[in-house]
Amino acid sequence: MATVTLNQAEKTYANGYKAIHGIDLEIQHGEFTVLVGPSGCGKSTLLRMIAGLESISDGEISIDDKVVNKVAPADRDIAMVFQNYALYPHMSNYNNMAYGLRNRGHSKSEIDSKVREAARILQLEDHLERKPSQLSGGQRQRVAMGRAIVRQPKVFLFDEPLSNLDAKLRVDMRLEIKNLQQRLGITSVYVTHDQVEAMTLADRLIVMKGGIAEQIGSPIDIYEKPETLFVAGFIGSPAMNFLPGKVSDDRTHVVVGDKVKLDLDHDVEAGRNVTVGIRPEHFRLCGDDAGPVSASVRMVESLGAETLVYLDFGIGNENVTLRVQGTHQFAKGTVLTLSITPDMIHLFDSETGKRI
Amino acid sequence: MKRVQFEHSAVPYLFVAPQILIISIFFLWPAAQAVYQSFLLEDAFGMSSQFVWFRNFEDVLSSSSWTRSAIFTVVFSVLVSVLSIAISLFLAVRADEVVRGAKSYKTLLMWGYAIAPPVAGLLGNMLFNPLMGDLYMAFNSFGFEFNHIENANDAAFVVILIAVWKQVSVNFIFFLSGLQGIPKSVQEAATLDCKSPERRFWTITFPLLAPTTFFLLVINLTYAFFETFGIIDVSTKGSPGGATATLVYKVYVDGFLGADLGGSSAQSVLLMIMVSVLTVFQFRFIERKVHY
Repeated sequence: MATVTLNQAEKTYANGYKAIHGIDLEIQHGEFTVLVGPSGCGKSTLLRMIAGLESISDGEISIDDKVVNKVAPADRDIAMVFQNYALYPHMSNYNNMAYGLRNRGHSKSEIDSKVREAARILQLEDHLERKPSQLSGGQRQRVAMGRAIVRQPKVFLFDEPLSNLDAKLRVDMRLEIKNLQQRLGITSVYVTHDQVEAMTLADRLIVMKGGIAEQIGSPIDIYEKPETLFVAGFIGSPAMNFLPGKVSDDRTHVVVGDKVKLDLDHDVEAGRNVTVGIRPEHFRLCGDDAGPVSASVRMVESLGAETLVYLDFGIGNENVTLRVQGTHQFAKGTVLTLSITPDMIHLFDSETGKRI
Repeated sequence: MKRVQFEHSAVPYLFVAPQILIISIFFLWPAAQAVYQSFLLEDAFGMSSQFVWFRNFEDVLSSSSWTRSAIFTVVFSVLVSVLSIAISLFLAVRADEVVRGAKSYKTLLMWGYAIAPPVAGLLGNMLFNPLMGDLYMAFNSFGFEFNHIENANDAAFVVILIAVWKQVSVNFIFFLSGLQGIPKSVQEAATLDCKSPERRFWTITFPLLAPTTFFLLVINLTYAFFETFGIIDVSTKGSPGGATATLVYKVYVDGFLGADLGGSSAQSVLLMIMVSVLTVFQFRFIERKVHY
């Protein structure tokens, strides 16, 4: 168990490119922190800085209140799971797990019991004598996890560990990782670009963009109260709908396009240009009753448990996505009436993209 | 294993015909000639020859000069291979770590590849010339009584030095690409698992380079056996007294300079057998250990 503290951590590459712009973060004992963001946002760089694989240009990173800026990776007492497993191809799976322990001078019997214990937890007992090349992707990732847990490090670092697995295995391994982390109670930092992984695994979520932490908070907080347009669009699938709007003079509603008026209970000045954000799942179908919004159907995608409907709100070519439970058949051009409760409407400043 | 069989046609044979022709003209035919010649004894003027069964082989195997040359060849090949592999591995690992000016280092180290063995021999010849050779002068001014013209060990040192120098650049290129073929994440995982860079090299990098090393061992032994001919011919010419003549060089000296075609053919047949045995040995015993 350990804490990880980042104090204005920065990374500038030799060519002058600044990948990380001063990040402050405090990760508590046993907390599962997920760094999420699009590719190139600096999330992997930040993780590698904690691991010691990238130098820290400015600021400090500490593990258990000890500054580790100049500490060798092997001495930081961390373990990392890589995207492409990074197993040693010439060693048996047993030796892959034992390697780190051997280099730290553990006794033979101690190593053996630790490796066998890890193999038992990860159901790898039958594969210990084989080489990684003889295993499937999921098993290899388990060996990589085993290599991390045998050392009982202070911190686990995961660099997109599930990206190379197929969809079904990814869900299984996701549960397994969460389960394992809770059981062992080891502080973890996990990097992913997959927002489902981020939402399900995280105790605390850090949404990154362009080397900056856009928002830090619990997954549900971030889903319910995204601080910026970027976070609002990145978290949630299908993505939140954004519509340009203007607050009416009496401040009771916002006008979107020519014909759509949405009720508001936000405290916002009259006449202000805003971006209205509405999650696809927050629209309600009004059936035959007259609702405040009507729009025609452009396309329907049925997923079985739910149906995604793409609507024409009369704002250029932009589709507005609607997500309804169950199966529905709507012909193209059908006019649907919808309603939305005011507290489900997110307002963002059109210029700064900040939440209002 | 079952394979799909296509209808027979002449086209595939046409495609392999040029290669078969080349192998036949430049390898099978001369080899057959050598085997045939090795059973013949020719008179000094090449006017007549007589079939003598294995007498040429008996003569060769019982001659002390052949035994000496065989021992020299083995020592020479092992030393050249091991030294050039070790040196180039060291250089490749170092060059791989360099961050600034990496390209210049690599280019400079690869340059030697463009030099033909006889040119390398000529360079060596000049460096060790007793009248103006810089290395010759340097060694003697340090107090070594270095004389490769008369001393067999010194002469061997000269040929080995040139042969190793010439081969280092070839090995360097292969090791460098081998090193770059090791996934970066595997090396990073090793930095997390093992603090000592030396230990990391011997437990991770070197085993992963084993296939490259095995391949280079085969290439280098072949090089030392056959391709060093040019170096020896230009630098020492086998002197003093045949002490630096490899088996290949001796075949040439006895056959073409000594005009003993039968004996020289017998030598080349023996050489062929030795190389075949070596090849089988390499693939049977060593390659098995480098698979992963």
